[in-house]
Amino acid sequence: MKHLFTAALVSSFALAAPVAPTAAQAEEINVLMFGMPYTVGLAKLADDFEAETGIKANIDVVGQDVFESRITLSFTGGTGDIDVVHTPVIQVQRWIQAGWLQPMTDLVSEETTSDILAGPLGAYDVNGDQWALPFFAGVGLMSYREDLLEAAGAEVPQTWAEMLDVAAKITTDDQAAIALRAVPGQGFNMFIFPMVMRAYGGTFFADYEGGDLTPAINSPENLEALNVYVKLINDYGPAGAGNFNFAEVKAAAENGQVAFTVEGTGIISQLVDPAKSQFADVTGIALPPGGPAGRSPAIGVHGMGIPASAPNPEASARFIEWAVSSETVAKIAMSESFPDFTTASVAQNPEVIAKYAAIHPDFLTMRVAALDLAIGHYRPLIPEWPALGQAIGESVNAAINGLMTPEEALEQADADMRDILGL
Amino acid sequence: MTSHATPRRGATYELQRGYRLMMVPAILAVGIFAIVPLAGMFGLAFSDYHLIRGTNWDFGFQNFAKMLSDKRLMNSIYVMAALSFFGVALQVLIGSAVAVGLQKITGKWRVGRILFLLPYAVPHVAVALIWLSLFTPTLSPINAFFDLFGITVPAFLTSQWGAITAIVIADTWTNFPFAMLIIMAALQGISPDLEEAAAIDGATRVKTFIYITLPLLAPALLMVTLFRFIDSLKHFPMIFVMTKGGPGRSTQATNFYAYVQTFQNSNVAYGAAIAVMLFLMAALISYYVAKLNQRVTT
Amino acid sequence: MGRIQLKGVQKDFGKVTVIPPLDLEINEGEFVVFVGPSGCGKSTLLRLIAGLEDVTGGVIEIDGADATDQSPGKRGLAMVFQSYALYPHLTVAQNIAFPLRMAGLTRDEQARRIDNAADVLNLTDYLDRRPKQLSGGQRQRVAIGRAIVREPSAFLFDEPLSNLDAALRMGMRLEISELHKRLETTMIYVTHDQVEAMTMADKIVVLNAGVIEQVGSPLDLYDNPRNRFVAEFIGSPKMNIITGAHAEERQATSIGIRPEHLTISSGSGDWKGIVGISEHLGSDTFIRVDVAGVVDTMTVRAPGKLRLAAGDTVFLTPDMENLHRFDKTGLRIK
Repeated sequence: MKHLFTAALVSSFALAAPVAPTAAQAEEINVLMFGMPYTVGLAKLADDFEAETGIKANIDVVGQDVFESRITLSFTGGTGDIDVVHTPVIQVQRWIQAGWLQPMTDLVSEETTSDILAGPLGAYDVNGDQWALPFFAGVGLMSYREDLLEAAGAEVPQTWAEMLDVAAKITTDDQAAIALRAVPGQGFNMFIFPMVMRAYGGTFFADYEGGDLTPAINSPENLEALNVYVKLINDYGPAGAGNFNFAEVKAAAENGQVAFTVEGTGIISQLVDPAKSQFADVTGIALPPGGPAGRSPAIGVHGMGIPASAPNPEASARFIEWAVSSETVAKIAMSESFPDFTTASVAQNPEVIAKYAAIHPDFLTMRVAALDLAIGHYRPLIPEWPALGQAIGESVNAAINGLMTPEEALEQADADMRDILGL
Repeated sequence: MTSHATPRRGATYELQRGYRLMMVPAILAVGIFAIVPLAGMFGLAFSDYHLIRGTNWDFGFQNFAKMLSDKRLMNSIYVMAALSFFGVALQVLIGSAVAVGLQKITGKWRVGRILFLLPYAVPHVAVALIWLSLFTPTLSPINAFFDLFGITVPAFLTSQWGAITAIVIADTWTNFPFAMLIIMAALQGISPDLEEAAAIDGATRVKTFIYITLPLLAPALLMVTLFRFIDSLKHFPMIFVMTKGGPGRSTQATNFYAYVQTFQNSNVAYGAAIAVMLFLMAALISYYVAKLNQRVTT
Repeated sequence: MGRIQLKGVQKDFGKVTVIPPLDLEINEGEFVVFVGPSGCGKSTLLRLIAGLEDVTGGVIEIDGADATDQSPGKRGLAMVFQSYALYPHLTVAQNIAFPLRMAGLTRDEQARRIDNAADVLNLTDYLDRRPKQLSGGQRQRVAIGRAIVREPSAFLFDEPLSNLDAALRMGMRLEISELHKRLETTMIYVTHDQVEAMTMADKIVVLNAGVIEQVGSPLDLYDNPRNRFVAEFIGSPKMNIITGAHAEERQATSIGIRPEHLTISSGSGDWKGIVGISEHLGSDTFIRVDVAGVVDTMTVRAPGKLRLAAGDTVFLTPDMENLHRFDKTGLRIK
């Protein structure tokens, strides 16, 4: 009954994609991922896996919205047609709660896990079990235009307050200072805004680590942070910045329309790559700005998990171990723009070091520095986060675009959080 | 006029039975691919299925009761109504105008008709991406062009009505050819003698259009409006790509809101209830328009 | 009212000239029939007069005024189409009222004229019906009704009877002729059927490949065809045409003799032949005769009671008075 209902529901949505009709067999596994440099690179290596293990891997890389409807259909229906699934750390708690994943604690070897960065690995350790292995850890970094800073006689800003000052100096009728993600969504503006929040000492909850999940989104610290964020986008951002997502941010930086962006490593690495950006040679990399409460670079971790309905978890685990192995990850790091690996030994690979040092000498060091500063629960690791992030993101975007004052926006976010948490 | 087959035994009866048998696969297909999912959706809509809160499989009207006081749902219906009304109106208007215009084109230029069909062949996500860049001032050639003359084109996507306008334009661009095709077919079904007769009867071109062509197009116009309207209740790709529902929540049409409830908020039962409401809306509109259509054609 | 003059009227479709420059005069109150084989340009000529097609050259005058560039509605003409062209969404009354509405007549005046027309055309009981609820003949009458209420200076008919069955066609032919007698309005009538032309027209215009072959009264065309084309086109069954030795004897390229101007005899005559198929119509019998030295069979009209069997030898004698001679361009030698 339940399965029928849920399969029916999902297929009734306009966005529902066709389901792979055949369940996986022992010698064939289905891998569902959404598009990122690593997953694109991985799909090209499917034959290597088959050569090594004799198991054929169908690696399907789709858009995020298709991905969501596919997994909802497959997991709630328990169809068992996905053997390995792209598992963003931000979703893992929700999926565990929904009973969508199976633990892989006993399926993966010590040898594999010991070569994975402890922070990202730990993010998938819930209730004493390992639910996925990470392959990606993107952190927030800042890119800046050295030439524009020099012309304005400004230093690289270390705090968001300094950023406001520098931005004011740089901004003219023809030159904007900064582009930041603004569109609503837990993976969009809510990837960037918490960097400002946490710099000012703002939090989502009264005491997350202590277990007090009373919403604290309408705190004075968060209000101050939101005012800064709104001001940066509206006063020092390019026209239309209130609807920017990462693609628009990247384009604005590439076209020289802004002096700063604060983005994930995936975007920043392209902005400083002479092969990809005409301003690469005058673009520098720094840590994201901080504030009275320090610096908290954004972090986004992606991994691979085994769906609860996967019929052959051993084969799934074998694929995952291969996919995060030093050899495979190094290949992808070489073939794609992918400096965000979480397999530690790849950082010692001379070819990989040479490639990313050639792009920008500071890049790998800055990435490590940011990873050190990043907190695992930058975005709270609770099942309700996707809903909370969506709701808060909507309010933040409403404040940016003047539909609400920052005060109203945070009050609205507070009300929405209480509603979602059932408080 | 109706053309019901008379229930007469004999050859006709045998033939009818043959036809009925031939319909069996189609009925099965409709049953499996339409009725079963629909039944499942109705079932879920009355359940308490929630991915993270736990589910007791309590059935009742709780989701529908919740809708009545859900301000976000009301907002989403308002957004949907605006998108559908302006979008469908523009699509039918522009589609009809282009169809009428193209009909006057004869000779080798007729091939040009294909140009007008192209937008319909572009996938919605691609259409949305095209228009997203056209409405993003830093990327848009339109803004770049007007900047040459010192004119600043406002950013559409950062205000509620601007964003709705942008989505309506993108939706119209890709869907007017559908209206155009239907109207074109309908126009071809109108004998050219009628327009000539009207011309001789002293009607101007405008009067001929109003008194002859338009009434004869009425059934097609009604049908195309209905189809487009029902389809427009499913607004999603344009919103997802162009605005993510923003600014704030101001372009969260109902189908997008159902997506948020289902996929972000894990509230599958409530999402299903909203989907059921949309389905009932579409069914109700279809029913009334079908009745209206019957009155127009007889 | 109703005098139409065509002066040097020409029509090209693209590079093809379908009507070379042509002059024609249609007098007030005349019933003029344009007749010719299909594709001869008769319908095009009618549409030029109606204003549904633009002329490539020349002038059309209606009642002395230049109407060449006037829109169809301003020419004061009414037209009945082959397809009737009734407005399917309007009732019979509304169809008939349409030109009156367009002319801005008062409702009372509209009603008066509709009633009048319905009365004349026996449509009174059908006024609230829609065209698809009517028979072919009724539709035809509605189309005529829509034309007469305008009180036009001339009526144009474009093959109006070709969609009706034979019996109905005969009746409508009479109705239209009677209408003409009563209204005394100019009528221009296009048909490919020479019987309609002969029975209805005051004046027949025979067209061939866009060119007027001859203009004249039915009997004039019958008795004095200007050329072989007219001679063959007018009259049923067709005139017998004989080429070769029989023609040369009479100093002509070809000679023509109508079936009714041949005398058939089993004893003696000018031409000897063998009887083929006979068509018995009761009043008349048409007999096909194979004559030596003549390519086609010849048709002969004989009294209804004449009985001849196929294969019988017969002799034909032409009535010299009604024998037509044609030169090598096809013109009749007088």
